[in-house]
Amino acid sequence: MKSTDSCLGKLAMEPIPENIRLLKGAYWLAKLRWIAIVYVIVGTYVTHEILRVGLNDVALYVIAGFLVVYNITVLVLLNRLMKADQEVPCKAVNKLVCAYQAIVWVLLNRFTKVDPKVSCKAVSRIINLQICMDLFLLTVLLHFSGGIENPLVFYFIFHMIIASILLSMRESYLQATFAVCLFGLLALLEYKQLIPHYCLTGFVPHCLGREKLYVLGTFFVFTTAVYLAVYMANYIAIRLKHTEAAYRQANIMLREKDRVKDEYVLRVTHDIKGHLATIQASLAVVTGKLTGPLGAEEADLIRRAYARSVKLVSFVRALLRLTQLRLSDKSEMDVFSLRDAIQNAVGAAETRAQEKSITLDCAIESSVDDIFGDRFSIEEMITNLLLNAVKYTPQKGTVRISARDEKNWVLLEVADTGIGIPEKELGKIFDEFYRATNARQVERDGTGLGLSIVRLIVERHGGRIRVESKEGRGTKFTLELPKGQRP
Amino acid sequence: MVNGRILIVDDDPDFVAAMKVILEGDRYAVTAAPDTVEGMRRIQADKPDLIIMDVMMSTWSDGFEMSRELKKDPRYEDIPILMLTGVEERTGIGFKSTAGDPQWLPVNGFLDKPVEPQVLLDEVNRLLSGKACNGADT
Repeated sequence: MKSTDSCLGKLAMEPIPENIRLLKGAYWLAKLRWIAIVYVIVGTYVTHEILRVGLNDVALYVIAGFLVVYNITVLVLLNRLMKADQEVPCKAVNKLVCAYQAIVWVLLNRFTKVDPKVSCKAVSRIINLQICMDLFLLTVLLHFSGGIENPLVFYFIFHMIIASILLSMRESYLQATFAVCLFGLLALLEYKQLIPHYCLTGFVPHCLGREKLYVLGTFFVFTTAVYLAVYMANYIAIRLKHTEAAYRQANIMLREKDRVKDEYVLRVTHDIKGHLATIQASLAVVTGKLTGPLGAEEADLIRRAYARSVKLVSFVRALLRLTQLRLSDKSEMDVFSLRDAIQNAVGAAETRAQEKSITLDCAIESSVDDIFGDRFSIEEMITNLLLNAVKYTPQKGTVRISARDEKNWVLLEVADTGIGIPEKELGKIFDEFYRATNARQVERDGTGLGLSIVRLIVERHGGRIRVESKEGRGTKFTLELPKGQRP
Repeated sequence: MVNGRILIVDDDPDFVAAMKVILEGDRYAVTAAPDTVEGMRRIQADKPDLIIMDVMMSTWSDGFEMSRELKKDPRYEDIPILMLTGVEERTGIGFKSTAGDPQWLPVNGFLDKPVEPQVLLDEVNRLLSGKACNGADT
């Protein structure tokens, strides 16, 4: 059997809140740091052991070790921020990690006064701290690996680009100034011999740390390169942010237009339904012979008109229901018995099943009962699925509904031995107004809205719907419904 | 001899005409009012045995307001009210489940427009046969 998941036709561009964007950026930075750590370790080993360049390898390994501890600390802090609102219980095996997390959290809270809520300020403060620390460690690394002689100095540029992407323009220029100060101080202290200069013997012909012109020239190029990098990266980042904001605005406008359209459809269909109700009621009086007998031809025409009005009313009803569901964000949620809802839905489909001699099986696990949701909608959804199954199952077939418990979920299955859905069309059956080609042959009239309503209700409840089918053999809808909790 | 006197409060004269034929065919005496003001006037002048009422007339909820007013008045609280409306899908509120709630929708029956003649007659008979009470009995 081929299967497909429902795919809600949501607009792809969901606005990402600024704090989440920053948090993701902070995670990205921590990920990049792992690469840097590996790079430091491998680089030190290759340069010192294989290329035989004179490096203070012990100091560099110590820095790499420090970077590992520091990066774990950053990740702990970020994880904590991510789960700020959810208390995650410590499992026995994780006790050590949890204790470490708690200590880090307390210390960082004390020193950085980070708000436990995921605020933009808190995350950007962490990113600022991370970049400051990275710049400082890079300077220390540079000091132990040749100072101004080491081409590693260009790696400061990476931090400037990262700062420009993640932070405000002011913050990124401040970070650039900090980098320039650190590098300048390192060059000055080594030049003045206030700190030792570790010459990269074997890499440069002679020590350059005390070559005045070389030091000044490198410092000048370094400073201009850092500020230019920040300027360019900021220029690009700002343009990207503007484009993103424009897309978000367009997305909001599209949603608003969609809402206005839905309200329009709702108003128009409601008015149409009012007129249709009167037409149907009037025709029902005549077809019911309440106004006296009719000639055979008149009776036949009136009967046809009445049948059409019934179909039109059911279409308008489905359209009204779908539009009303699309327009309302919240339903009337409460705790109710899913068992009762299923039984009511089975009751509603029973007569139609009997008319076609279809066996309607119902198997509900004893543990399935109360869930939190909109009872009316859920019952309507199950009824829709059952009536659909009965409609497209030939005489003497079987329709089976089952429900079972799966921890915090209820798994509901509606399976039939009906005409099935062609493989190519499986992905479209939840689309509004779509009717499978074989369904149209069996039943000329149908709204094509029933499954769209079902999907909308499932998704409103945070659930999922899946369909498996084989043409000519039958169809199975599987619904995963969260039991939910009273808020 | 009539089975009972019914007042229809609905602003759609064509729908009222169809309802009249169905109900009069079952020997009910039917009068109609196009709005709640005329409806109240008729109730005060001649208390009916049953009121069939729409929800949306001059405002979207005047049927609700009239039913609450009637159920608060000791002179009329015993008149069964059957709400016959298409407002449910317009608003998305599950009226069938709330009909009978004295605070929210103090009516004795609720049917969605359009209604099959026999379904309407069954409901009217049920409400007039004395089974009705001010509870959720739809």
